[in-house]
Amino acid sequence: MQAPVSYKLRQQQLWLSSDRCVFWEDEKTLIVSDLHFGKTGHFRKWGIPVPQGVYKNDLQRLVGQLQYFQPKQLIVVGDLFHSHENKELELFRKWRNDFPALDVQLVKGNHDILHDRWYHETGITVTEEILSLKDLFGFIHDLSPHQWSFGSSAYYFSGHLHPGIRINGQGRQSLCFPCFYFTDKFCVLPAFSEFTGMAMIRPSSHENVFAIVDNKVMQLQ
Amino acid sequence: MNEKSGLVNAPTGFGKTFSVFLGSLIGFINRHPADHATRSRNGLQLIWISPLRALAKDVGRAMEEVITELGMSWKVGIRNGDTEMSERQKQKRQMPEVLIITPESLHLLLAQKGYPDLFKSLHIIAVDEWHELIGSKRGVQVELAISRIVSLQKKLFNQQCSIWGISATIGNMEEAREVLLSSLSLQGAERVVTVKANLRKEVVIESILPDEIEKYPWAGHLGIKLVHKVIPVIHQSRTTLIFINTRGMSEIWYQTLLNAAPDLAGVLALHHGSIEQELRIWVEESLHSGRLKAVVCTASLDLGVDFRPVETVIQVGSPKGVARFLQRAGRSGHRPGEVSKIYFLPTHSLELVEAAALKNAIEENFIESREPMLLCFDVLIQYLCTLAISEGFSPGELYEEVKATYCYRDITMDEWTAILDFVTTGGSALQQYDEYKKVEVIDGLYRITSRRIAMRHRLHIGTIVSESMLKVKFVSGGYIGMVEEWFVSRLTPGDVFTISGRNVELVMIKDMTVLVRKSNSKKSMVPSWQGGRMPLSANLGKKLREKFTEAFTLSSQLRVTGNGQMVLPPKIDPGSPQDPELVALQPLFQLQEQLSHIPKANELLIEHIETKDGFHLFVFPFEGRLVHEAMAAILAYRISRHTPITFSIAMNDYGFELLSDQPIPVDDTNVYELFSPDDLLNDIQRSVNATEMARRKFRDIAVIGGLIFTGYPGEQKKARHLQASASLLFNVFSEYDPNNLLMRQAYQEVLDREMEELRLRNMLERIQQSEIVITFPQQLTPFCFPIKVDSLRENLTSEKLEDRVKRMQAQLGK
Repeated sequence: MQAPVSYKLRQQQLWLSSDRCVFWEDEKTLIVSDLHFGKTGHFRKWGIPVPQGVYKNDLQRLVGQLQYFQPKQLIVVGDLFHSHENKELELFRKWRNDFPALDVQLVKGNHDILHDRWYHETGITVTEEILSLKDLFGFIHDLSPHQWSFGSSAYYFSGHLHPGIRINGQGRQSLCFPCFYFTDKFCVLPAFSEFTGMAMIRPSSHENVFAIVDNKVMQLQ
Repeated sequence: MNEKSGLVNAPTGFGKTFSVFLGSLIGFINRHPADHATRSRNGLQLIWISPLRALAKDVGRAMEEVITELGMSWKVGIRNGDTEMSERQKQKRQMPEVLIITPESLHLLLAQKGYPDLFKSLHIIAVDEWHELIGSKRGVQVELAISRIVSLQKKLFNQQCSIWGISATIGNMEEAREVLLSSLSLQGAERVVTVKANLRKEVVIESILPDEIEKYPWAGHLGIKLVHKVIPVIHQSRTTLIFINTRGMSEIWYQTLLNAAPDLAGVLALHHGSIEQELRIWVEESLHSGRLKAVVCTASLDLGVDFRPVETVIQVGSPKGVARFLQRAGRSGHRPGEVSKIYFLPTHSLELVEAAALKNAIEENFIESREPMLLCFDVLIQYLCTLAISEGFSPGELYEEVKATYCYRDITMDEWTAILDFVTTGGSALQQYDEYKKVEVIDGLYRITSRRIAMRHRLHIGTIVSESMLKVKFVSGGYIGMVEEWFVSRLTPGDVFTISGRNVELVMIKDMTVLVRKSNSKKSMVPSWQGGRMPLSANLGKKLREKFTEAFTLSSQLRVTGNGQMVLPPKIDPGSPQDPELVALQPLFQLQEQLSHIPKANELLIEHIETKDGFHLFVFPFEGRLVHEAMAAILAYRISRHTPITFSIAMNDYGFELLSDQPIPVDDTNVYELFSPDDLLNDIQRSVNATEMARRKFRDIAVIGGLIFTGYPGEQKKARHLQASASLLFNVFSEYDPNNLLMRQAYQEVLDREMEELRLRNMLERIQQSEIVITFPQQLTPFCFPIKVDSLRENLTSEKLEDRVKRMQAQLGK
C-alpha cells in the first residue's frame, strides 16, 4: 500500500488513503462512507452467488486502516450496512468486539434500515441527519437535498454518490476510477466497499479530485 | 417422413415451412385412418419452435386454414411472451395438437409442474428458421429442450419423436443437422435425412451506379446522394423493401425519402427492432395487404412469412455476407418460380466491388456457415434452475442428457461438478456466515423450493438479449420504441434524438424508461444501435479478393485515348461478361494502380503513407472488421516488441491502419515474420485488451446465468437492493473467483466471437502463402481513404465530419 496523501483543509491535517478513507489527524478520526456490509450476503440469500471474498476483504481493509492510523473514533458517513440483518452481519459484530475502545459513529444513510436496538447492541452511536464536530466539519450522508441551504460555514463530508472519475485515453479508451471529490464547501468520499458501482462526477476546474488508481491516490486536479 | 428425422432445406418461398406441417397431419391420418377427422383432444402432436414471436400468428393462421380444408378437428395454440394467462391456463388443461412456441417459452414449459406428461403423444418437434437459431444461445436452448423431451419420451413412454429442422441454405448444412439431432439415439442413415428442394431460385442483382464515380470513396455519405435513383425504382414496383444495415441509418433514410418524394407520405413506412411492436405489426399487416409502397427496414424483416406484394428489394450498403444478401433478395418474388429482384446501392464506391463479388458467390452457391455455440455455461445454469423449479432433476441422469447435446458434448466432469456447485452452494463463500440459497438437494433431487426465487427465475428465462435496452416513452404517456442504454447514457436532458421517424427531446431517465417529449428541432442525433455492425463474412471477403484480380486485369487492358476518354477492351470471353460495377469503377482502380497497387487474390497489399498526421501503415486483408481489429493490435504489439513505438489503430471491413509519429518498421525483411501464425494465442493475450472485451461480453452471460436481476413489474423498487452492474460483478469475480466458469466463458466468447480467432489464424496462414506487396504512395489512395475517414468518425460528429471529409477530398484533387 502506498503511504497516504496529505491534504490540508481549514487548517486541519487530513490524510487520504488509497483504501478509500480519510484520516483526520487533529481529531484522531477515521472517516469512511458507503461500506455496504452484508451486501454479498443479501445477494446470496436471494440466489445470486456473488463471492463473499469481497466482503471479507472489505472488513480486512478496514482493520488495516485502523491499525495503521490508530484512530480513537470511526465516523461512517452512511450506508454502513446494505440491507436487512443477515448472517454476514454476525461477522461484523464479532469484528466490532475486537475493537472495544473504538468509538463508532454512524450518520444514517438510505441503506441503514436496521433496528435501533441492533446498532445499540453493536456499540454504534447513530445520528439521524447531520453530525457536527467542533463547528468545523459536518457529516451528512446525502448532500443533494441540502446542498444549497448550508447556513453555517462548516465544511461537509458526505458519501452516497460513490463518486468516480473518467479518464479518457487515446482512441476510444476510457477508464473509470473511484475518487475523493473536494469542492470549496463539501467533500464526497469514495465508497469504501469494493462491491459498489460508481457515479461519474463532472468537477469544475478549481475543485480537487483524487483518483484511486491501482492502490495509489493520484491527484488529478 | 414418419419415424425419420432431418433437415428440410429449400430457398425461401418454396413452401418448406409447410412440408413438415403436412407431414405431421399425414402421419396422424395414417395412424387413425378411420376417424382422423373427428378425433379431437388428441394431446400435443407437434411442437413448432419458431425464433420470432411475430411469426406465430401468421403461421398459426395458415395452419388452421389447412386443418379446416382437410376437415380435421386439430387445434393450433400459440405460446410465447404475448400469450395471455387465461390462454396458458387453458393449454395447461388441454394442450392443442399443435403448439407454436419460442425457445424461451419452451423452457418455461419445462418449468411447469407435471410437464413430462405433455409429451406423451408428441410425434414431431419442428424447428423453423434453424439457420437463424443455430449460431445463438437460443439455439442452445433448443438443443437442451430437445434433449430433455427425447429422454423423457424414451424413459416414460418408450417412444421417440421425430425432429425436423427447417433451414435456409447455409455453408454447414451437415453440421446444422448434426447439432439439431445430436440427442437422438438412433442415427441410422435410413432414419436421418436431409430434404433438399431441387430448385434454384432465380435472383437478379442490379447495382445502382452513381453517375460519377468518386475516386476517393468515403464511408459516411450513406448512399443518400443516390436517393433520386431509388425513387423511380419504388414507383415502378408494387411494393419495395429497402434494407438498411443499421437502425440509425434507417431512420435517416426514411426521412430523406420522404423529403425527396413527398408523395410517398402515408405509403412509406419504417420498420426496425426498436420500434414499438404495435406499429411494427401494423407495418407487417399493411405489407401483406399491399397498402404500402415501400418500407425502410433493417434485419428486422429478414425473417418471417412471405409478403406477397413485395416485388423489389433494395440493399443499401454492404450486406456483409452472401447468406444474408440471398435471404433479403428472397423477400421479393416470394412465390415458387418467381424471380427475386434485388438492387444493390453502395454507400461508398468501393462497395460496388462487393456487388460483383456477391453475384459470383450466389452463382457458385458459396454461402457462409453458421457456427454453433459450444459450452455455454450460462445457458446451462439457467436450464438447471428451470428444471429445478418444476420436477427437480437428478444430476447423474441429467449429465447423460446434457452430454448428448452438441453444445455440451465436450463438457468435463469437473465443469459439470462446478456448475452443480455454483447453483447449490454459490461458489466461494464464508462457510458459517453464508445463507446462499437457490437450488437445494432433497432426497437426491435438485430442487428450487423458494417460491420467490422460482418466480424470479421464470421471469428471467426470456432474457437472452444482446444489449440492455431501455424503453422510450412520452412524458404524457405512450410508448415509442427502444434504445440501447449506452446511447442514452451519453445524452443530457434537452438533447434531441430521432426514433421511429420522430424527433424527440430527452426529459429524463426514470425506472429504466427514457421519458421524452416531442421536439421541433431540426437538428437531432440518430441513435446508433450496435447490433447492426456485422463484420464482412469470410466468404464474401474471399470473393472480394477474387474480384480485385479481375479489376486489375481489366485495368491493365484499359486504354486512355487522347481526349481522356477510356476505352474498354473487347470482351475476352463472351461467356463471362464483365461486371458493370468493375467497369464503372475503372477511374478509381486506375488511380489506385497509379498511386499504389491493386492487390490480386494471392496478394496482400500494404501501403506506407506519410501525411501531416504522421506515418500510416495500411494493410488490406479483406477479412472483416473484427479480424482486422485483432490483427492490428497483434501487429502493433509485434512491431513494438522490436522497436519502442506507439500506434493508434483504425479499421474497417477491408483493411486496417496503424498510425504513428515515427516511421513504422515494416519492410520486406520482416513482413512475413510479423504476419506469422506462430505463437498467435499468446500474442493475442498480450496485445488485445481482452479484459475489456470480456467485460462487455460478461453482461450477457451474467444476465443469462442469473447474476443480474433486471426486476419485475411492480417490484422494481424492492429489487433495487439486489442490483449490481455487470461491470461491477465482473470486477468482483475477477478478483475473488477468477476461475469461475462464467468468467472463463466470457473470455472464450471474446476469442471465438469477437476476434474470430479461427478466421484470424486462417488469414495468417493464407498470407504466408501469398505475395506481400509493399508500396509507398505519395498520397492517400482510394483503398485507404475509407479507413482513414472511418477513423475520424470516432471522435467527430457527423456534420463536422462531412465538412472535414470534403476538405480532404478537395485537397487530394481529382
